[in-house]
Amino acid sequence: MKIPYQLNPFVVADPNKCIGCRVCELACSTVHAHEKKPLTVGSMKNPLQPRLYLVRTIYGSVPVQCRHCEDAPCANACPVSAIVQKDGAICINEELCMGCKTCILACPFGAITLMPVFEEGHPVQQNVAIALDEYSNEMVGYKQLQVAGKCDRCINLEHPACVENCPEHALQLIVPENHRDARMQEAALSLGFIVKDCFS
Amino acid sequence: MTLPIVSIDKELCTGCGRCKTVCPVDAISGLPNLPHVVDASVCILCGQCVQICSGYDSPLEEYATSREERLAQRGMLPTTTEPLFAAHYRGDLFPLMAALHRKKTFTVVQCAPAIRVAVGEEFGLPYGTLTPGKLAAALRRLGFDRVYDTNFGADVTIMEEGAELIDRIKNNGKLPMFTSCCPGWVKFLEDQNSDLLEHLSSCKSPQQMAGSLFKTYGAKIDGVDPANIFSVAVMPCTCKKFECERPEMNVDGCRDVDLVITTRELAQLIKHADIDFLALPDEDFDSPMGCYSGAGNIFGTTGGVMEAALRSACELLTGKPLPSLDLEYVRGGEGIRKATIQHEGVELRVAIVAGLAHIEPILEDIRTGKADFDFLEVMCCPLGCVSGGGQPKVLLPAQMEEAHARRKAGLYAHDQMLPTRKSHENPEIIKLYKDFLGKPLGHKPHHLLHTDHIKNQGK
Repeated sequence: MKIPYQLNPFVVADPNKCIGCRVCELACSTVHAHEKKPLTVGSMKNPLQPRLYLVRTIYGSVPVQCRHCEDAPCANACPVSAIVQKDGAICINEELCMGCKTCILACPFGAITLMPVFEEGHPVQQNVAIALDEYSNEMVGYKQLQVAGKCDRCINLEHPACVENCPEHALQLIVPENHRDARMQEAALSLGFIVKDCFS
Repeated sequence: MTLPIVSIDKELCTGCGRCKTVCPVDAISGLPNLPHVVDASVCILCGQCVQICSGYDSPLEEYATSREERLAQRGMLPTTTEPLFAAHYRGDLFPLMAALHRKKTFTVVQCAPAIRVAVGEEFGLPYGTLTPGKLAAALRRLGFDRVYDTNFGADVTIMEEGAELIDRIKNNGKLPMFTSCCPGWVKFLEDQNSDLLEHLSSCKSPQQMAGSLFKTYGAKIDGVDPANIFSVAVMPCTCKKFECERPEMNVDGCRDVDLVITTRELAQLIKHADIDFLALPDEDFDSPMGCYSGAGNIFGTTGGVMEAALRSACELLTGKPLPSLDLEYVRGGEGIRKATIQHEGVELRVAIVAGLAHIEPILEDIRTGKADFDFLEVMCCPLGCVSGGGQPKVLLPAQMEEAHARRKAGLYAHDQMLPTRKSHENPEIIKLYKDFLGKPLGHKPHHLLHTDHIKNQGK
């Protein structure tokens, strides 16, 4: 049986190019919306929920998102095996997710979080109601259902939406082998072919 | 004037600077990653910053102001569910709802041409879907007593402005003449180029002309006291909120237009009133001032005012209609376009500017006496009103071009299907002049439909 060994591609942002505009978050939310892809702000039925998160620091800003790790801690940690590796990406099966938040604890990048679930603009309720107190049977309401969500590299689309929409081209899809190829070429050229006599 | 009409929310602004790039008058300043600020003394209220802003109220951040407070500050309905962005405009739905509620108040509404090809987008329809029938039906169900239309006002504007152009050409008046329907353009001239104000047509905009007719001609038709009329305009434009508040925009003490709301605000109000827009039947606008020609309808796109004017002016000047009503040579996109029309021995040179950022070479030519045109149409917004600051906010910048292009196409398509395509052939326009106004540029039109830009600058 052939075991695939290429590294999982992932999207990463260049903090030197990022201007903090949040268009990546808008694009991500739009393509992952639990509704027909909204065209205008006013037509949105559900709130914006990006899977990459703009982080603003004193040095500047940059969005962070899932690295599709090799031996992903979130996939390792999930007690109901809701997170699997498939087609070079780490994917979440939302149906299986029970919202235990172990994946949130496991991820060192903070790339995974729980996201509220909507249907036609209305919150989907949890099955477990909110009780008045721990002794009574009286229920006072329901919390909204939340399931784990993270960057899925837009595997169902041609290109990752954030990469396509960033006005500064700060986001890149890194295919690790190709990325190293370009660097190694440069390194080799600078060593042997230009400065011919430096090793004699 | 209380709140600024267009401003940037310090808490939501991430300092990306894209608003600064898009502002045609450099009214926005700010350092990278720090909140940006609009200089109200320079701002022409075009709202392009509002359209491009992507700094929204992220669920991951904690803001000092709660969402409820922010909605209240912006004059937005508490039932609003859409995300809020840093660059925004003042909301005016509360005074509108109060007016609709008052039984003694006779409410009249008009909609700009650009509304009918965009409002449907807020209900999930594709960009540029034409829905004039549903628009009229929705306005009626919101409780407006009269559902008239800005396109009628546009037809009146053509009658007056066409006559004014012919008069200036024949009698050595100030040329080139500038269109005056874009309030951002007028404000730009007042603020920074007041030496050129004489070139502006003395015509009020279609919005203001329609408003003044609603409270005079309209008041007579409905037997209503003008003091009890509350005149509302739905506009794709943020600057129109400023235009209707200008002190000189009134007739005998009654404001031409009492309130302007945007396309987006109208959609919010329709949702708030639980009206199922998509299920509405097609209805007509009310007569007489809801009847319009295709020429009036194309005002919403760059080149549309020019085309509408040419359809009438060329025919009225020579007695012979143009060979075609589809004047492709004045249609186009952002930037500067020029054309020379030759018709039955008459030559007319026109220029069109779409996007105020492109205006400088034109102003330079005018000042140095090198202007090679007699009539200039200027729209501040990149494709004209269809791309205005109050239009449905396109979520992704990559889709803005397509959205604008489709809205523009919708306006021309509507024009093609209408029975009347020239302003001077609109039967209700003919009747208006015969029964009430007299002749274009006459005494009554002068009183109701024209304004003195030089006298009223800086108000």
